[in-house]
This record gives sequence, structure tokens and C-alpha cells, in this order.
Amino acid sequence: MEPRWKGKGFKAKALAEPMSKIVSQLQSSLIQSDAQGLLAGCTVLIAVKPEQTDLLDHSCFGKRIVTAEKDNEWFQLGLEEAFYLCFSLKCLKIVGDDKCPKDDVELWQCMISRKPNFPDFYKAYSHLRMKNWVVKSGLNYGVDFVAYRHHPSLVHSEYAVLVLSEGEDEGNGRLRLWSDLHCTTRVSGSVVKTLLVLRITKTGNGVASPSCLEKYTVVGRTIRRWHPEQCREDNVIGENRTKQQEALGKASLKTKFTQKHDLKLKPGLVGIERGFSLVSISLVFALISFIVSRWFWSN
Amino acid sequence: MEAVDWENSSGGSSDTEAYLQDTKYEDDEELHFTSGFISKLQFRKDKSRAHWINEIGMAEVVENKGKLWRTMGVVRSGKIYYSIEETLFLMEIGALLLLDDNGTSLSLNDIYAKVSGGSWELFEVYRHLKSLGYIVGQHGIAWSIKDAKSNRPSVSLQCSPQSSEVVDLESEDESSIVGPFNNMHINEARPVFDVYLPNSKFRKSSPGDPSFVICLTRGDLPSIADIEVLERQCGAIPLRFCHVEYGRVSFFSFDEVELPILP
Repeated sequence: MEPRWKGKGFKAKALAEPMSKIVSQLQSSLIQSDAQGLLAGCTVLIAVKPEQTDLLDHSCFGKRIVTAEKDNEWFQLGLEEAFYLCFSLKCLKIVGDDKCPKDDVELWQCMISRKPNFPDFYKAYSHLRMKNWVVKSGLNYGVDFVAYRHHPSLVHSEYAVLVLSEGEDEGNGRLRLWSDLHCTTRVSGSVVKTLLVLRITKTGNGVASPSCLEKYTVVGRTIRRWHPEQCREDNVIGENRTKQQEALGKASLKTKFTQKHDLKLKPGLVGIERGFSLVSISLVFALISFIVSRWFWSN
Repeated sequence: MEAVDWENSSGGSSDTEAYLQDTKYEDDEELHFTSGFISKLQFRKDKSRAHWINEIGMAEVVENKGKLWRTMGVVRSGKIYYSIEETLFLMEIGALLLLDDNGTSLSLNDIYAKVSGGSWELFEVYRHLKSLGYIVGQHGIAWSIKDAKSNRPSVSLQCSPQSSEVVDLESEDESSIVGPFNNMHINEARPVFDVYLPNSKFRKSSPGDPSFVICLTRGDLPSIADIEVLERQCGAIPLRFCHVEYGRVSFFSFDEVELPILP
């Protein structure tokens, strides 16, 4: 599927200001202001300067909280977002109740205690973010994440992402039954997204520290519904394409006509097109013989 | 260039996505299929005739009429043999007169009775694709002797477990990997059909590689391990996994993908 840009010139605009650049601007700004976030439940709250709010908005980290405070703007970050800024980009410090910044291992364990499958989810999140995709919550669509090629105001998201862990209960019980698959692809499809399943495999044990992430691998698979009716019309072999399209178009018209008048078709499945070419050939012959006979008689 | 509203778009909750009409689903499928070709085909005046051979579970063509045989059945020792799916299909559209060992004609009832176990689902898949004009063959079974001798991977001459009469033993390829489709594979998912796009120039002597390989699972979804095994088996040919329930056939693909690194 091609990316669906939301307006004219948006593709060029995205190219002119790539996400990697915006994120690195955010990174520099946060480092400069020695930004700190407060771990509160399953969220990290940060107060930022007005100029930083644009950067957070543009790079799609967090959600703004509207408050009456004039000097500060408050944002709330998801666990993966906060950990990415802290651990991967090293531009945010995160404190708990004790107001002391947590080190990586401590923070990692805090995250896991709040979200047991945090390691897999974080691996998936960071895998996509590091490729400069924008990753947001997929809750609206019944999936884990949605991935955008650039800012959501410029482009529709292309992928609805599900994170599947390898292990005994393969995939945490997600997509176990065919009805699960039908459901998820249908929801994704109705909002024109492809279902992307990221399978996280771990070599080595233990989730004690974030360094275990290096041993994780991510393999992506797209799960799509295949429509043989559509596929057949998109691909034609063996005959001129436009001719075939005409014939197919006539065939579907004919099918509708015969249904309406309850007529019976000549047998043969591939024969519809042959039927038409036969009819047209015999018509041509009839015409030729008519012309010849008229010529003959007139002479 | 249109102005971009950065602020309000990053909230997440106000993600205004385009919602497509579900035109692809249910209703259209019904329209495509049930009111499609099958129900409107006239019974043929000239039916082909075939002899049902129980021992091999196939029909040996005695007399051929029409053109359907060009994309159906396998050729062995100069004769055409139809699988149970092909036989059922032809009988449903009235294109085949089937006889048993005594020369008595078999009814649709008789042939339906021969569909055992999971074969009905296989037939539904076959019928769905065949009715759309695709050319459907049994996976891994050569269309003809010439096809078997070509370099197509995992193709054998064997048609069914007891088909010793049908197989030309001298020229059977010993190294063919995939056995008859009735064999149970270790995994839950197995390839069942080779599907070719509609093609008036299709030849059993050189069919070429199929456009898709259809796989069926016995139980629930194929595991990733199953998918990987099948992908290795089928090489570059795309796989489509089908699911049959309540007379509806749906297909899915599970292709591996690597998202590009963006600028």
C-alpha cells in the first residue's frame, strides 16, 4: 500500500523536514534544559518550556495536558515513549516519589512492574522509532501501536501493529483463532491500515536489565486478507490487457443482465471471453458476406 | 501548500482517520460468489464421460468434450485423471457423466458421499477459485509427464497413495520432496493447491510456476514456525492460507516484511 498523504504538497513537506531531524532537535533541546520526568503510575509527566512543546508535538511524543499554568506546559508520556527518551536518546531523566533520577536498571524494573510485557513492547516501539517511524498508541483500532510515516497531520498511518512474543503461550494468546484474525484485519482494513505483526524472539534469559534488549530480534509479518476476485481483475495474462478488461467488464454486465432476465449463459468459464470473440468474428463475417453479396448483386 | 495544524493533530484521540465503507466484505462476497457463474451455467448437452476408480480416488476420463479439460486433470500415460475436487466440480456444473466399475452412472449424491473428512473444505476452496477463473492444481503433483521432468521444485508424479497404476514408475523423480496431498504433515498447515492466474495459453506440458500456493490448516491459525517451513518449501511463490467456515472461504497472506528506514 502506498502512503496516503493528507494533502497536496505534504509529501514534499515531510521530505523537507524528515522525522529524524525533528527528533534530534527535540533531543538537543531536552538535554539543554536538563529535562526531568516524573513517574506517576503508568505515565511519565514532564513540564517543558513553550518552545519545547512544538518539538514534542512535531515529533509525536506524548500528549499535552491542558493546565492553567502559564510558565510551563505539561505533557504526559507513555511508558515506551518515556523510556525511549531516557534510555535510547538519553535526553530525559526520570524521577520517582523520592525525586531522585533513576538509573537505567532501576527504571527498567519499574517499567516491568507496571507492564509485565514491557520488554517486548519496548523492543517493538524502539525498533520502529529507530527507523524514524512515528509510533502512537493503537488502542483506537484494537491493536498495540499504529505506525505513521511522518506526522499524523500529514499522513494517514499505514500499519496497525500487534506485538507478539515468542514463547510457550505464543503471542500472549493474541490471534489464536481465525475469528481473531478476521476481526483484527477487518478493523485495520476498514481504516485502511495493514496489520503488521512484530514477533519478538529472545535469545538468552532474563529481563533484569535493559541490556537484554540487544539479544532480542524483531521479525515483521504483514497479515492481509487476500481477495481472489480482486486479484484476478488486477492481473491478466495471455491476452491484451485492455481487451481483457473490456471483456471482463462486458462479462460482469452480462452476468447482471442475465440475472435480471433469468437467461442461461453458454457453458464454459473462460469461454465468456471466447464467446464474445466468436460472436464478434461471426458478426464480422456476416458483415463481409453482406457487403460482398451486395457488391455481387449490384454488378 | 495547505497549512498544517501541528498542535491539534498530535493529541492522539482526535485522529481523524478515513473510514472506508466495508464494501469488500460480506455483501459483496455474496454477490460475487453465489450469483456468479455456477448458478447460471446451462447444463451441457455434451457431457464428458469418466470412470470413477475407487482404488485411486480419481476419475479416469473416457470421453472428452468441451474445453475445461485443458486446465483440469493430470495426464498420465496419455489419459486424463480428475481429482475428487475436479470431479465434484464438473458434476456440479453438469459437465461430467461419471460411471462406476459396472458402468452405472453415479449421481451427485453418490459423489458427495465420497467426500470424506477434510476433503469437503478442500472442495469448497477448489470450487471458489475455479469459479473465478483461476487454474487450480494439486500442489506438488505434476500436470503431465513432461511437467514432472521439468525443473519445477517439489513436483512428483504420484497422484494419490494407491496410485501405482497411474504412476509411470520408470520416470518418477526419486528426489521429489512433497508426497501426495493426502499425507499428514508433521505440522498443522500443509500446501494443498497450486493456483495459476486465468490464462488462455496454459499448457499442462509446461505450466510454469504457480502464482500462489494455497495452504490449509487443520485447526486454528498456522504457527509462525509452520509458515516458515512452508515458505522454505515453496521458494519464492507467495503463500495464501485459507480458512473455510460455514461455506465461506477466506484467504490470508502472512508475508514477511522489513519496514524501511525513513529519512
